[in-house]
Amino acid sequence: MTTDTMETADAGSTAPVPSSTKKPRRARAPKFLLALPAWTWFILFFALPVGLVLLYSLGEQVSSFVQKPDISPDVWSLDNFPKAFDPAFAPIFWRTLRISITGTFICLIISVPFSYWLATKVSPRWRGVLLGLVLVPFWTNFLVRTIGWQLILAPNGFVSQKLQDVGITSGDLGLLYTQAGVQIGVVYNYLPLMILPLYVAFERIDSAMTEASKDLGANRLKTFVQVTMPLAMPGAIAGMLLVFIPLMGDYITASLLGGAKGTMAGVLVADQFLNTFNWSRGAAMAVIMIGFILAALAVFAIVGLLLRAIVRARRRVSLPEAAA
Amino acid sequence: MSDLNEPIKILAPPQAAQRISRRMFMGGAAGAAVAGSALLSACGEDATTDTGAAPVGEIESELNMFTWGEYNAPKVIKAFESDNDLKFTLDSYNSNEQLIAKLSAAKGTSGYDIIVPTGPFIPALVENELVQELDLSRIKNFDNLEEEYKDQPWDPGNKYSICKDWGTTGYAYDTTKINKEMTTWQDFLDVAMNEASGNVSVLESPDNAVGLWLWANDINWMTEDTGELDQCEEFLVSELAPHVKAFQSYPGGGDMQNGNFALVHAWNGDARQGILGADSPDQWKWVFPGPRTEIWMDTYAIPVGAPHPNAAYAWMDYLLQPEVSLKELEYIGYNTGVKDIQPLAEDAGVERLDMVFFTPEQVAIMESGELNSAQDRRVEIYNKFKSAAGN
Amino acid sequence: MSQQTAARRHRVDWTKWSLTVWGVLMFVFLFLPIVWIVIFSFNTGRVLTDWSGFGFDGYRSFFENSAPRAAVQTSLIVAALSAVVATVLGSLAGVALARRPGKWTTGFLFLVALVLVTPEIVDAIALLPWYVLLGQDANILAFNNGYVRLIVSHSVFSTAVVTLIVRARLAGIDESLEEAAGDLYATPTKRFTQITLPLMLPAVLAGGLLAFTLSLDNTVISAFVFVQGSTPWPVYVLASVKTALRPEIASISTMMFVLTVIAIGLVGVVLRRGGDSSSDIAATMTGTG
Repeated sequence: MTTDTMETADAGSTAPVPSSTKKPRRARAPKFLLALPAWTWFILFFALPVGLVLLYSLGEQVSSFVQKPDISPDVWSLDNFPKAFDPAFAPIFWRTLRISITGTFICLIISVPFSYWLATKVSPRWRGVLLGLVLVPFWTNFLVRTIGWQLILAPNGFVSQKLQDVGITSGDLGLLYTQAGVQIGVVYNYLPLMILPLYVAFERIDSAMTEASKDLGANRLKTFVQVTMPLAMPGAIAGMLLVFIPLMGDYITASLLGGAKGTMAGVLVADQFLNTFNWSRGAAMAVIMIGFILAALAVFAIVGLLLRAIVRARRRVSLPEAAA
Repeated sequence: MSDLNEPIKILAPPQAAQRISRRMFMGGAAGAAVAGSALLSACGEDATTDTGAAPVGEIESELNMFTWGEYNAPKVIKAFESDNDLKFTLDSYNSNEQLIAKLSAAKGTSGYDIIVPTGPFIPALVENELVQELDLSRIKNFDNLEEEYKDQPWDPGNKYSICKDWGTTGYAYDTTKINKEMTTWQDFLDVAMNEASGNVSVLESPDNAVGLWLWANDINWMTEDTGELDQCEEFLVSELAPHVKAFQSYPGGGDMQNGNFALVHAWNGDARQGILGADSPDQWKWVFPGPRTEIWMDTYAIPVGAPHPNAAYAWMDYLLQPEVSLKELEYIGYNTGVKDIQPLAEDAGVERLDMVFFTPEQVAIMESGELNSAQDRRVEIYNKFKSAAGN
Repeated sequence: MSQQTAARRHRVDWTKWSLTVWGVLMFVFLFLPIVWIVIFSFNTGRVLTDWSGFGFDGYRSFFENSAPRAAVQTSLIVAALSAVVATVLGSLAGVALARRPGKWTTGFLFLVALVLVTPEIVDAIALLPWYVLLGQDANILAFNNGYVRLIVSHSVFSTAVVTLIVRARLAGIDESLEEAAGDLYATPTKRFTQITLPLMLPAVLAGGLLAFTLSLDNTVISAFVFVQGSTPWPVYVLASVKTALRPEIASISTMMFVLTVIAIGLVGVVLRRGGDSSSDIAATMTGTG
């Protein structure tokens, strides 16, 4: 399922990828040896350590000071999983999922018109500059950006004061340390990852397609919905994956803006390692978190395929030429 | 699925988990010596062989300290840096649990030269070979320390640690938001669930969070009684949790000025920094609550594997000079335990000394923490409390 | 007729106008916290969040205090070295993937995908005990060194990113050039240095740059594996967030921000010269290409 995901993401941004798989394969010098160093690197510093964590989730915590859990096979059990998904902790996982899905969709909705504008309405001269401007926050330190939001969202901060001046609220509007604060923070932090693939997708659409649609009598809205958007779909999917996956594992935004109300799974996992000396439970929580991500991606893929089938069917009926 | 009430793993070695009474703490007298000898025999020779003091040598060019937040006066650090031409790096934690987690996970590779554990945690750190023995002869100003803060029950003869400072736990409230006179822990809980609901901050430290309810109900916060701890959990998780906005160890570091909270659970020095930093000095009111509360002493110790031990010794020695200690006190707002520091501070006109020095009556209701069989239970209650606050 | 065109033109303007307004609003949103950091970098107060006056104290403290300076320096060193590691490993793997796909590809891509989708926090909790195991139990002393730990940790994710970027670039270019060189009896080495390498160079550079910034930005893994004394900048900031933020954090961030803008501008110019369209640039810069 993960390889599936990868290919979808790739297809979204680089058209020629599919052709590479069709290339004739030749048995010549074993060039795959070139991948050996990277392969070794991934095994040594990713697969093995993460594998160890997975083992911890089956193990048993011996004592607080000997933090490494006992992972000898005779103590292996799945007991840590129900403990990690205890009623005390389960709501945090569901909240994480909710914040992530909401965040991904908000990003999508606000990015579509923006990327579309940037790719089609702005003169090419300015496009590069504006695109550079989009990249600036993306390349500014994640933590520092979040601190910026701390300043803005504080009850004595700008947003709250301005709203009071205008008379929208009478008291302090404390968005800091609330779920709403986290929601704003994550949308902001992961937004560029949605804007850019969408931009790439819109920019690569051949204008002949949309013109053909108009020539065939479709109005602007219809053209956008039935021609432009389906063509930009790979970009939207890539963007959603790029936003959703890191958002589910977010630690920084939630711990800076969340307070007690906006804790997310990443913070919970880190807590088991940093505060409560329970590596086994922390590892189990990490596994559950990954499970949530994979499950969400699976649902996402199924829904996506269904939608595509529906859109295709509809498009064929209304605008056969444009679909070709 | 009640893992939270499950087999309690004792954090401290059983020998070290003895009750340490307040009298022993403050008196440091005969009782301490008894407890001390028991401890000494507990952590026998073999446990300490490779944790001996570092050899004497020149002060290194770096010093890395792992400490609590805002816990040294910046100008003192700067002066020490330029006097010894070294680079001082600070990292901070919010609870002893975080300190231990980092040290034991890194097993001597943490890179820290100085740590600041709270007293009762020392025996466990020694037992697990995480701190090294001190050579007191290298801390010439050790004699400047008031006798009553030396030779504590958890570290007889200051073999592993020396007093950094001591303080208590109380709370502060914003008088522009809470129009009520508050004096006790019960007041804290009542107001937290009413006027201040949703604007409460609780210390990000398991013992202190659990202490909220135990203190309010006049129970020793180190109780090992499962019934009392169950009741405490019930209250914190189902009643108090929904009203808590955040778990913060240092609300004085900016949040009190920002208006994020109306009621903050805080250590006296941090509350003092917050009050002094507020727009108007009367906005926040400090409460020293009864009927019981905490007394703690933080200590300097050198972790095993410290890369710059000489600089660490020089730092401890430097801080025990009365003038330096006064500068520290003025900034951090804790009693440093240096001889005659109180008259010195009064003469210097240091602000809010009522939050730094306590009357004998106040000290009489303070109780020291300890590492006992309830430690893991407290951590679990706290963990559950914290999760429940999010719902 | 003329009425119709007028109406049509009017409608066109309206759509474009509202999209432009939306675009401007989005830019405001994107820059809001950055503007705030820049403003507060001139705060003279004790803590960042509490504005007390305008001044350059925060900037001065960068030049007076060694700790934040050392942290920035550590970050730059780590970023440069981890970018080198990731670029070399990733480029080689990318070439292999694009030019010699085979049975091994699926397994390898699966691993790359896992690296990319695993939440950072999981890598963080996994790597610390791993380094302790290697450094203490297996006695490979290099892993007790903070720089080694940071460089290795940061390079894992970046290697995966560079691999994909280089693969995509080469997959987009027909292999016929290389084959022609082969037909003209160029040695495999020559063929690589004279044909393949120049072709993939833009992707290699973009990948390296991306690896550099990813490392510079990395907070979560760094906070777990770092060794005090080689504290990277984000970890230094995180330690301050937990206690009291000082204005110097904003001041240093502002300086780094200015450098970032300059760097992005330069890269944009370089890639433009190389003939890439703005969309190619966007794609490469975010690793989505």
